Amino acid sequence: MRNLMRLPGARLVLHAVVVIVIWLVMVQVNDRVDPLMNYYIALVAMYATAMFGMVILVGLSGQVSLGNGALMAIGGYLFALTTLNWQTVPILGVPMNGIWAMVFAAVGGVVFGLLIGVLGARLRGPYLAGLTLGIAVGIPAIANRFPDLLGGETGLQLTVPYPEGGYAALDAGFEDQFAEVAPSGEALLPSADASLAPEELLTADNFPSADATVAPEDLLTADTFPSADATVAPGDLLTADNFPSADASASAGDLLTPDSFPSGAASLSPDLGGTDISGVDPTGTSDIDLGFILERWQASLAVAVACIVAFVALNLVRGRQGRVWKAVRDDPVAAAVSGISPAGSKVSAFVVSSLFASLAGAVFAQILSYVGPGAFGLGLSLSLLVGVVLGGRSSLVGAVIGAVLLVWLPQFVLSLSEDRGWDEQVTNNAPNLIYGLLVVLVVLIAPGGLMGSMQTLVAKVTKR
Amino acid sequence: MLSIDDLCVNYGPVQALSHVSLEVPRGEVTAVIGANGAGKSTLMRTLAGLVKPASGSASLDGKVLTGHKAEDVVRMGVSLVPEGRSTVPELTVDENLRLGGMWRSRAARTALHAQFYDMFPVLGERRKMRADTLSGGERQQLAIGRALMCAPECLLLDEPSLGLAPLIVTQILEMVKGLATEANIAVLLVEQNAVTALRVAHTAVVLNLGQVVMSGRAADIAAHEELRHAYLGY
Amino acid sequence: MMQFVDYLLGGIGSGAIIALMALALVLTWRATRVVNFAQVGQAMFTTFIALSIQTATGSWYVALIGAIIAGAILGVIIQYLVLGPVKRMDTSGAIIATFGVLIALQAAAGMIWGGDSQAYPQPFGNSAITLFGHEWPLSVYDLVVIGFAAVLVVGLTLIFTRTSLGLAMRATAFNPEVARLSGVRVSRTLTIGWGLAGIVGAVAGVLVAPTSTISPNSFDILLVFAFTAAVIGGLDSLVGAVSMGIFTGLLLSVVSGYSDSSNAPVAALVLLALNLLLKPEGIFGHNSARSV
Repeated sequence: MRNLMRLPGARLVLHAVVVIVIWLVMVQVNDRVDPLMNYYIALVAMYATAMFGMVILVGLSGQVSLGNGALMAIGGYLFALTTLNWQTVPILGVPMNGIWAMVFAAVGGVVFGLLIGVLGARLRGPYLAGLTLGIAVGIPAIANRFPDLLGGETGLQLTVPYPEGGYAALDAGFEDQFAEVAPSGEALLPSADASLAPEELLTADNFPSADATVAPEDLLTADTFPSADATVAPGDLLTADNFPSADASASAGDLLTPDSFPSGAASLSPDLGGTDISGVDPTGTSDIDLGFILERWQASLAVAVACIVAFVALNLVRGRQGRVWKAVRDDPVAAAVSGISPAGSKVSAFVVSSLFASLAGAVFAQILSYVGPGAFGLGLSLSLLVGVVLGGRSSLVGAVIGAVLLVWLPQFVLSLSEDRGWDEQVTNNAPNLIYGLLVVLVVLIAPGGLMGSMQTLVAKVTKR
Repeated sequence: MLSIDDLCVNYGPVQALSHVSLEVPRGEVTAVIGANGAGKSTLMRTLAGLVKPASGSASLDGKVLTGHKAEDVVRMGVSLVPEGRSTVPELTVDENLRLGGMWRSRAARTALHAQFYDMFPVLGERRKMRADTLSGGERQQLAIGRALMCAPECLLLDEPSLGLAPLIVTQILEMVKGLATEANIAVLLVEQNAVTALRVAHTAVVLNLGQVVMSGRAADIAAHEELRHAYLGY
Repeated sequence: MMQFVDYLLGGIGSGAIIALMALALVLTWRATRVVNFAQVGQAMFTTFIALSIQTATGSWYVALIGAIIAGAILGVIIQYLVLGPVKRMDTSGAIIATFGVLIALQAAAGMIWGGDSQAYPQPFGNSAITLFGHEWPLSVYDLVVIGFAAVLVVGLTLIFTRTSLGLAMRATAFNPEVARLSGVRVSRTLTIGWGLAGIVGAVAGVLVAPTSTISPNSFDILLVFAFTAAVIGGLDSLVGAVSMGIFTGLLLSVVSGYSDSSNAPVAALVLLALNLLLKPEGIFGHNSARSV
């Protein structure tokens, strides 16, 4: 096995295999879980995508940056602007689609990353942190300056671009499959969730609480929710479909700052949901519960992007470039006399991380069906920092763990508060309080985060 | 008298000092000589409380020093002048001096202050200037002055000659010798430059790889030809 | 021209507040070589405490004193529990820890006082002063703010230059090892530095709150302004922080006046970026901002 790994390109193949296996597994999971779960999966994948960049920037390159939320904003806004304003791709003339929009987002991210990198990468820690803090606060504020183009404080609603012909066309056997899925779909009702266990990212007991979040807002009635009831009026259906994005606002708001986020109602208007669906569903089979489709698409997309980014990140981190970043982080002078340009290395970390961040931002825009300054504020940047520190500053796996923590903890706290009857004020802020305290504890006790501690533990055990 | 008893210091898995025992009598200069990495600076830093020993102890006139923090060790009468002109460059000459022995009464300090400027009139002229405007020799004098302001009973000097012109080295070491004999202070002097160190010191120890390989009267060690070849390189 | 002068004057009050917050950042930087990004979180928290006291007692002064005491205690606790134990080598860790404290403080404030913006009573009246037939864009309150800033700056300068504590603090900042070897109780000195910073930040918080509102996040932007001012001022210099704080306030006031107040964050960002690009060590400082 050792010898096999010495073959040229062996590492590349290994990474490809690992990523593809994960992707295949996730595709199966996406097909089998309910929309809410898919929505969570999409969020986790989105956070992981952004945090792979944070691992490279903060962990390997040692630059504490808060700018990645702003870079996500750039990706998200570019995605929204290009999909909303361009029918065709400029110069090439081919029809605009989601992939092209993501390409523009990525290019924008690289350009801004280069800009910020050139400005910031040579700065010492606290200066860089402060500069990027300014960027995290300042860039989303730009949206307020151009209300016509960027939608101001309320942001921009966007139609998530499905593949041509909708998700249904992508999956030829959709109707059959749906028929198969439907009965088990019943089983996925929040009230009867025991069968969820195998694929769960969330624990079974906190899952129902997700339903509870929604219930007070009366977005769903028990009958409209998961059962594919043919008699459901289109309007109700749309509301049902809209529910996850409403929840998106709410839970993103929890993660970020509870108050800065535009009220869930803003992104909830039924009309918009209406255009969403009618634009998406050319077959007009409104008797099929379309509520399942959007989330599945969002989750598959987010997972696919995360997998591609993970593949690139794996090769960078475990290859020569990863060693260069670490060398410069640990001793810039020694690296410089070994022929490595410290500044170049730091700028490259910035560029890579902002590429990942802008892609994550484009995915985030599609998950929320919305971009706005509140969604990409300082809170998002801080969330990324929290996730990457808790999971393990220098570990890609740690980034995924951190992403899961970011999505899971608020739901967990919510379910706890349901049980204990906590004040809403307490419930809203408990996750951030826990994050803040955990970050401090991790820095003091286990600077390597969860993954770092596990590695030390494993090393200790195997040594004995 | 400063007594060091069976002192061991580890840096991770590396043993920097191994069972070092040593006595530094008052009124005398004791030189610690040895090559790079022999553990000389480690010995000094351990005595001053900056490094925690793995085992063993050091005491000054019966007061145990080891286990105390640096800021307490200096209050117990052991003052270190660390390697490399250890002044605070951003502070003025006067402020550097005032820094020493801040816990002591104002009266005691003012007297010492005046004494110091008598000893070093050049520094007295420059008392309002920042320490980083001084020459290397002046800064070393200032560093020793700061340590003396703590009214030490034992003075630890780590490579005071580093990077200084030979003439100034002699001047500083003669001053140190004078301090030891006149103020009845125990002086432990670390030097890489064995020749100059042995010239001023009363007694000397030779450290090699963290162990004392020889100790005795300075003159005897200077005359010990084998030792000179083996450890001192001349 | 008159308009420009008006805009300038209108920025003095906010400039003084930025100056105070920048001063707090400089104090912690000088003490521990850590930029305390949690500083505005602490100020927010103590201002909420002050608001509670104000509501209970009705006295603005009692509330201010309460905030000062709370600010000192909070600063000391955070230094003692969080920043003290962080290893000096781990600069990333120290920065991250301050953000962790910021997140926790904001969440705690949200838990206790809620996430909504609350009004802070205006103690001295906010009406503009009319003098020589011109309505100046300065209120009595602005003058009070400037007065507080001046008193604090003079007081701190005296502490730093005239007292043994100040000397110990400066020595500790520049060379902790020599300070320890001179008998300075370094950790106590650092903690006192954080306590002082906490006091200054708390005063800034109580002073800024009546000019807008207070919520767990409402001081975030103040952090950006104050950091900008502190960095331009050299991060090490009290005089630098104060003068650049006031300068930043004036500049933002002029920018907001001629365009729109929502431009202020971007203007501050541009100012900070230009400074880091052209003169990274700041105008009054000799810290090197660049590592490579």
